[in-house]
Amino acid sequence: MNALTIAPGAPVLEAQSLRREYRMGDERVVAVQDVSLSIAAGEYAAIVGPSGCGKSTLLNLLGVIDRPTTGSVRIAGRQVESLSDAEATRFRLLHVGFVFQRFYLMPALSALENVELPMSEAGMARAERRARASELLGYVGLGKRERHRPSRLSGGEQQRVAVARALANRPSLLLADEPTGELDARTGTEMIALLERLSADGTTIVVVTHDEKLARATRRVVHMLDGRVERDEPVR
Amino acid sequence: MLVDARLGTDARLRVGDRLVVSATPGGAGDTVVIAGFESRAADPSEVARSEYRVRLHLDQLQSVTGYGDRVDRFAVKVRDTSVTRAAVDAINAAAFGFRAHRSREIAVETSQTFLVVSRFHRAIGIITIVASAIFLLCIMLLKVDERRRDVAALRLLGISSRTITKSVVVEAALVASLGSVAGAALGAVASAFVNWHYRAVYRTPLAFSILTPRTVAMSVALSLVLGIGAGWLAARRLARTAPLTLFGR
Repeated sequence: MNALTIAPGAPVLEAQSLRREYRMGDERVVAVQDVSLSIAAGEYAAIVGPSGCGKSTLLNLLGVIDRPTTGSVRIAGRQVESLSDAEATRFRLLHVGFVFQRFYLMPALSALENVELPMSEAGMARAERRARASELLGYVGLGKRERHRPSRLSGGEQQRVAVARALANRPSLLLADEPTGELDARTGTEMIALLERLSADGTTIVVVTHDEKLARATRRVVHMLDGRVERDEPVR
Repeated sequence: MLVDARLGTDARLRVGDRLVVSATPGGAGDTVVIAGFESRAADPSEVARSEYRVRLHLDQLQSVTGYGDRVDRFAVKVRDTSVTRAAVDAINAAAFGFRAHRSREIAVETSQTFLVVSRFHRAIGIITIVASAIFLLCIMLLKVDERRRDVAALRLLGISSRTITKSVVVEAALVASLGSVAGAALGAVASAFVNWHYRAVYRTPLAFSILTPRTVAMSVALSLVLGIGAGWLAARRLARTAPLTLFGR
């Protein structure tokens, strides 16, 4: 399914001199400037900073959701900043997993079907994707609730389904935008534990967060301010 | 004498009862025996008429009305319909002062009002369908627009515009199919109620509302075309918008 392979320790993600400008009326706003970043396979990193510092914009650039005004992004050895919309969509499907703050599960589908969705789009056979979805829901601790629809799951459970969905196509990189933002303290802690377990099992993870507890649980924290990387340091 | 079934009901008459019939109320008349009751035919031109009808033997009718041999109208029934035209021409040539018409020509003439009413109903139907189509399109656009964030999330997850458009169109087709089945069932019930009500009011076997297989097939086809078209337009509009724009960023 996933055609790109990465040698252990090799960079999964390399961003060079990223700059992203927007036009707001006559004014030009620089959301991200001169950001270079390298994320190695298996690394677990957090991007932190005050609201409006450009961390979500950076995540969008790293996740092939948005294109940089200048600079380049390389994921698993492939240059992605100049992909067409359709190519970028396909690339995200196969190589980048996303976890959103608000889960965005499909309300009409069961937990199992939500996890199957990206695999179905990727063309995986029904039996194979059902088995993998079931395995992933078991991994995130929802093996007994796979037939439930999102409306019958708690916020924490919905976010765990979203994590399972993000892992469906065995992505090279898992990106999470405020994954604990909608969760209470207890379920937030459970989510942090799940992400730590994923990291320990070899998943490459980058989270954008305001949650200090989550940032401390990672191995590396990238501090942003006014669109630039202010500090990039390992967590002790 | 044959008596209008409505009169029989209203006056509680029975076969064998004796009645006095006269040309004027309270006037001298003949005593007749009721031989049976006659129901009205399904004739739209008769439906609003409230007067009762009775059938007498011609000689007795002449005697009661005092018309003697004089008649205003009479009907000639032919055994072989292929000679109707020839019979009409023969009567018109032979009977000076009379004008013979085929019953079909009279029916067409007397149905003109109903044809106008029927066209008026068709116009109302077309306007209703056009208004429904616009309403359906607006509802579809709003319903799909409500899911813009879900669509944006799907796009970010890597689900293609084509898949999203296809799923919305399939859903719209399903909704349109179920809606048209429900609509046809509702139409059948409403039609039955209208017929039951107006047949009771006008005491006629006339069908006031007719739901034909063609009407059902046309409405189902129209509903599917409109539903799928509206779904496709709405989905296409969302699928072509950048995911971040859908997220409001």
